[in-house]
Amino acid sequence: MTARDPMPGTSQESPLLEVDGLSVEFQTRDGVARVLESISFSLARGQTLGVVGESGCGKSMTALALMRLIPQPPGRIVAGQMRFEGIDLLGLSDAAMREVRGNRVSMIFQEPMTSLNPVFNVGEQIAEAVRLHQRLDRRAARERAIEMLEAVGIPAARKRVDDYPHQFSGGMRQRVMIAMALACNPSVLIADEPTTALDVTVQAQIFDLISDLRSRTGTAVILITHDMGAIAEMADRVAVMYAGRIVEEGSTADVLANPLHPYTRGLIACAPGRRTATHGEPLEEISGTVPSLLERGAGCAFADRCREVMPKCRIGLPAETRLAQGKRRVLCWLHADASVPGAGGAS
Amino acid sequence: MNKPLLEVQDLRVHFPIGGGLIGKPRAWVRAVDGVSFSVPRGTTFGIVGESGSGKSTTALAVMRLVRHTGGSIRLDDDDIGTLEGDALRQARRRFQMVFQDPYASLNPRKRAGDAVREALDLMAYGEPQARPARVAELFAQCGLRPEQQRLFPHQFSGGQRQRIVLARALAANPELLVCDEPVSALDVAIQAQILNLMQRLQKALGLTYLFISHDLGVIRHMCDQVAVMYLGVIVEQADRESLFARPLHPYTLALWSAAPSFDPAARGRAQRIRLQGDPPSPIDIPPGCRFAGRCPVAQARCHTDAPLLREVLPGHRIACHRVSDNGKPDYELAATIG
Repeated sequence: MTARDPMPGTSQESPLLEVDGLSVEFQTRDGVARVLESISFSLARGQTLGVVGESGCGKSMTALALMRLIPQPPGRIVAGQMRFEGIDLLGLSDAAMREVRGNRVSMIFQEPMTSLNPVFNVGEQIAEAVRLHQRLDRRAARERAIEMLEAVGIPAARKRVDDYPHQFSGGMRQRVMIAMALACNPSVLIADEPTTALDVTVQAQIFDLISDLRSRTGTAVILITHDMGAIAEMADRVAVMYAGRIVEEGSTADVLANPLHPYTRGLIACAPGRRTATHGEPLEEISGTVPSLLERGAGCAFADRCREVMPKCRIGLPAETRLAQGKRRVLCWLHADASVPGAGGAS
Repeated sequence: MNKPLLEVQDLRVHFPIGGGLIGKPRAWVRAVDGVSFSVPRGTTFGIVGESGSGKSTTALAVMRLVRHTGGSIRLDDDDIGTLEGDALRQARRRFQMVFQDPYASLNPRKRAGDAVREALDLMAYGEPQARPARVAELFAQCGLRPEQQRLFPHQFSGGQRQRIVLARALAANPELLVCDEPVSALDVAIQAQILNLMQRLQKALGLTYLFISHDLGVIRHMCDQVAVMYLGVIVEQADRESLFARPLHPYTLALWSAAPSFDPAARGRAQRIRLQGDPPSPIDIPPGCRFAGRCPVAQARCHTDAPLLREVLPGHRIACHRVSDNGKPDYELAATIG
């Protein structure tokens, strides 16, 4: 439904990755669940897009859909387009998609221990990606693995390349994952909660590493997190997801300074211990929980938790409102008439 | 302040490695290595640190769930560190625990109401016929609806499960609640609900909390006194205001500056202290200051002499050679504190 530039190739600089109207359904025993509903965003070269929201909002599902890793069945991409460097990802054969996945678009997951194979040393695991995608021979692939381990700051990389995952600490394992993901020089790195399992000082190291590699290689990053602090730290733009939809999107500075959607406001306000919060005063709460997939009606899924809910919120959703020359958008009746005529969609 | 409710003196928890039944252990893990603090009644004492700092082991030792190998634990007038058997079971009414993972700490086959009722039965709290009313009261206090007593744990969300865990912990009207990362497994919006509930309960029931967390934001919001632990020892301890206004230990500063700030304008990388590597293993504790290996301002003596935890400002204790006895650091670390 979002009106994007209808003529590809005419724009000055086409985005690296463009997702338009992506919807995903899962067949369950109790019916069909829409886990993603009309997800649209674009990612420019070298940019970091943060995706934030509570568990069950569809953040990881969006990442899996981008990698075409949604288990099928029960899942199914029912609508939408994903264009990466001008290629229609959904139109690719499985073999062609494998050329993209792990090579030009790669991903790091939350749990570094479960995503590394415990019976192979880390060098072989990094080298495997390079051998498969870049057709390097064993020796060259091993050299590339050592080079990558050095790039992610593993001390004595030449020695440690033959070590097994259990010989590394949590932070080091996540570095190995990043080395593996970046070994083929991808254009897009999807990081799904890359630091959730790590200590704050190690999290800071990993964030520095990702920022540093991004500025050196120009890799664009999609950072999935539930932590607004991580968004503030890392992301150029932020998409706030709720119950399978993007409810607000904009530059990180704008969204944090002036959140428009009540959900975004809640996410920012409920974080404890910020400078502005006073001790002894209760924190802002978002009452209730994310509604289950099958309980999402036609209205706004946030209505039951929203402080500013109006009767029409329960009936339907407004068209997306575009603000700041289309650089910001929000999906909420509170802002439905702030839209520039013609840009958002007259209801 | 009034007499402390909980007083921990020189607590040590060392675990043997290897050795088997009769052999001599090969080595010792010094998980907690001489920790002292006291918690006044009705206040919250926070312990913050990274994994391996010994904060959870301290909590478990206070709960008498791991055997401490040295030191004393006093609750009011009782030396709970030496109680055994039935005396310990009796005393447990007065101190209860909330764990991190509400998925793991509730029996999946037990209805929520029964889980709370079981605590009352086990601790022989009140007359049996009065117990259903007590369960109902606890449910109401913890923000659960009466009909939810009939439900099983899987029918609740994470936040609601933590409410059941709280209701169960409060069943026998304890004075001290030891909370080990009580909100770490929850989504941020739900965290706020549980933290608010815990503060309301504290006010209403006069509870004392020993609150363990790795999250400085949560600690700052909840705690009156804060101790920062590193590798089994307290490196800095102060009341909330002075700790967050004037952190003195380089580790505290580093911890603070590692926590992401909400202000995108404060992304100034140059102002951040970045620690290299991970904390060393609690088996081979380095001589000298335990933090010296990662400390950005360590000097030669930091690697040889262990600094003592001493009071440098009223109520502000620190273990660092680089801070003078009157609380002046002789190092410069520009840290952004969010």
